Amino acid sequence: MKHQTKLSQEQQSRQVGTEHQTQQPAAREFANAEELLRYDAAHTPVPPAIAQRLQKSTGDLPGPKTAWWKRLFGGANR
Amino acid sequence: MNEPAAGCEFAEEPPADLASSEFSSLYAENSRAIYYLALRFLGDPQKAEDATHDVFLKAFRKLDQFRGEASLRTWLYRIAINHCQNLRQGWHDRHVFSNADDAVWENAAARTDSPLRVLEIKELGQRIQKTLAGLPDEYRLMLLLVADEELSYEQVGALVGQSPDAVRGKLHRARKAFAALFEKTA
Repeated sequence: MKHQTKLSQEQQSRQVGTEHQTQQPAAREFANAEELLRYDAAHTPVPPAIAQRLQKSTGDLPGPKTAWWKRLFGGANR
Repeated sequence: MNEPAAGCEFAEEPPADLASSEFSSLYAENSRAIYYLALRFLGDPQKAEDATHDVFLKAFRKLDQFRGEASLRTWLYRIAINHCQNLRQGWHDRHVFSNADDAVWENAAARTDSPLRVLEIKELGQRIQKTLAGLPDEYRLMLLLVADEELSYEQVGALVGQSPDAVRGKLHRARKAFAALFEKTA
């Protein structure tokens, strides 16, 4: 139910202003804080340095053992 | 505050040989969500980078202990929230936003039925950060978690130690508080 609500909120998001008003920056409206944060998150890249650091950090460690539930069920991620 | 540069579409793509395919998938699917939470909760890109690294390293070490009682995303959020809260405990500003008195925000001037209007997308990150910094930690965390469409209200409630109904109730006030502060950052 929540998912549907969020999707409908996404659909409410809209560009304000018209194609003809090229001199003025188009405003963007967000229905609420979550929608704004969702937009911001989607446009916030993860620094590649994190993966590089992780690669180094995990390099000397033994790989993770398979979780018990994956051993049993062969596992979906969620 | 320096905002991370946009445009690296595949920045969360891990190197192919990142330890194991299972962990590599875990990172690819969740690194954006965890980094964003850390960035907006801590308010500092470098600290967020360090925190994200530490969260996934912890996850790597403990992946075999994951019992499947929650989703992997929720499990990672739990690690990230604990980590970020521990970091903030050492900071001088930890008591600045102790005004989690709901009544304060209930009377905020902003209306929750009015959309948030943004003219300048370029500085949006800074405005959001400034707004979140003015909110009580509880509201900030709740908004960040509810913004993740993969989480249900039940999962958000479990992460913040509240019932789903309490989350819905507080979310109303959190939205209002956010809108009131966001207007002031324009």
